[in-house]
Amino acid sequence: MRIELDQPRCEGHGLCEEVAPDLVHLDDEGELIIDVAEIEVGTDAEQHAHEAVRICPVTALSLR
Amino acid sequence: MHVDRNYENIVIVGYGIAGMTAADTLRSHGYQGRLAIVGGEPHEPYSRPALSKAMLADVGTIEPQYLPASDHGARVLLGNRAVALDVKRSSITLDNGEHIDFDGLVIASGSSAKRFTDHPREFSVRSHDDALRLRTRLHDQPNVVILGGGPLGMEIASAARNIGCAVTLVHQGTPMASHLGPYLGSRCSEAARAHGVELIDGRVAEVCAPDSADGPITICLDSGQEVGGDVIVSTIGDAPEGDWLADSGLLTDGRLKVDTRGRVNEHIVAAGDIAWLPTADSHERQPLWTAAIEQAKTASLALLVGDEAPPLDFQSYFWTEQFGLTIRVSGDFPVHGEPEVVARGQKANPDALLLRWSGDAQSAAAVGYRIAIPKLRRVATGDFLPS
Repeated sequence: MRIELDQPRCEGHGLCEEVAPDLVHLDDEGELIIDVAEIEVGTDAEQHAHEAVRICPVTALSLR
Repeated sequence: MHVDRNYENIVIVGYGIAGMTAADTLRSHGYQGRLAIVGGEPHEPYSRPALSKAMLADVGTIEPQYLPASDHGARVLLGNRAVALDVKRSSITLDNGEHIDFDGLVIASGSSAKRFTDHPREFSVRSHDDALRLRTRLHDQPNVVILGGGPLGMEIASAARNIGCAVTLVHQGTPMASHLGPYLGSRCSEAARAHGVELIDGRVAEVCAPDSADGPITICLDSGQEVGGDVIVSTIGDAPEGDWLADSGLLTDGRLKVDTRGRVNEHIVAAGDIAWLPTADSHERQPLWTAAIEQAKTASLALLVGDEAPPLDFQSYFWTEQFGLTIRVSGDFPVHGEPEVVARGQKANPDALLLRWSGDAQSAAAVGYRIAIPKLRRVATGDFLPS
């Protein structure tokens, strides 16, 4: 699986960072950086990725 | 965590972010039985916070901003409302007469907008269809009167000004102050005035809508002042969608009260805008995006594993975008007093401010300042200063 970011939608809330600090973070200028895009199925990372996608209020993240 | 109750037939009423999160959570914690979700609106779940911004979308855009799909595998009934709950028989009734039995129930039926009248030119914005109707009307550039200066009212005022409408906003006191406190409330009000919104400090006594489809609508204020407009938008808060629970025996003074794990009883839990959560001395609702998600996670886990589920530990987060101001806050709000400026200016926005109130309250606000919520929380508690 792969985390994908719809950059223009991202408003930099960083709620995804709160639930998945192992996968994504906002840099000092508030831009979202995806640190780990490829997600192995059945791992904790997959669960975090799902939560990150779900918590985004502007649906900027998806998991394919 | 293991599933120690033998549920086979869980029903979720409500298919917003809370209902969706509940379905995901049940599945991710091993629930493999039947799952049915009743969604009152005709749409797949969408982002409700995105609605006020949808005002600005091209008129051709009619789709809501859908939430990412889920693989929960539930039987989903869209466009059907639950109208009754029979607790003894463990059954709900839908508006089409269908009965659905359950052994576990998640109530996430949300809330609806309060209004003054049923007049077709009094608009409210709670659902995607509401937003679409209002947007279509605003693009004719009517004179708009907005009743209520909370976040939704101010965001719609901002959008209506962008579209080119004349906008009057009626609010008792300083807009946004009851949400954010006087300091940020004043900032928002100044921004609204600078964008050409006429702010009227007053309380609505009566809305006099004409019987005919056109002709101005008049709003009478307590002061005797009258305000007229082509269109009014009421943003005076929401009321929990609890009518269908009226005869269930679950309501106390009309309120669906839950415990610290979102439980109404052993087999029924609730989450989102409908749930009244215990506080130190009372119960309160937390009609916020992140609250709905946290509550849905906690409540659906508590349905499966009872006391083994950790109780709700919610840290508030709230944001608004209006009149060119993007404000995000974490901690105790509304907050009084003057903040300390923790940081000023970012590459993208030299006017950006990061603010902190210390003392009894632990509160932080980012005004045009891009900062991830975990850091903003640590600014509020005094544990983080940007370099």
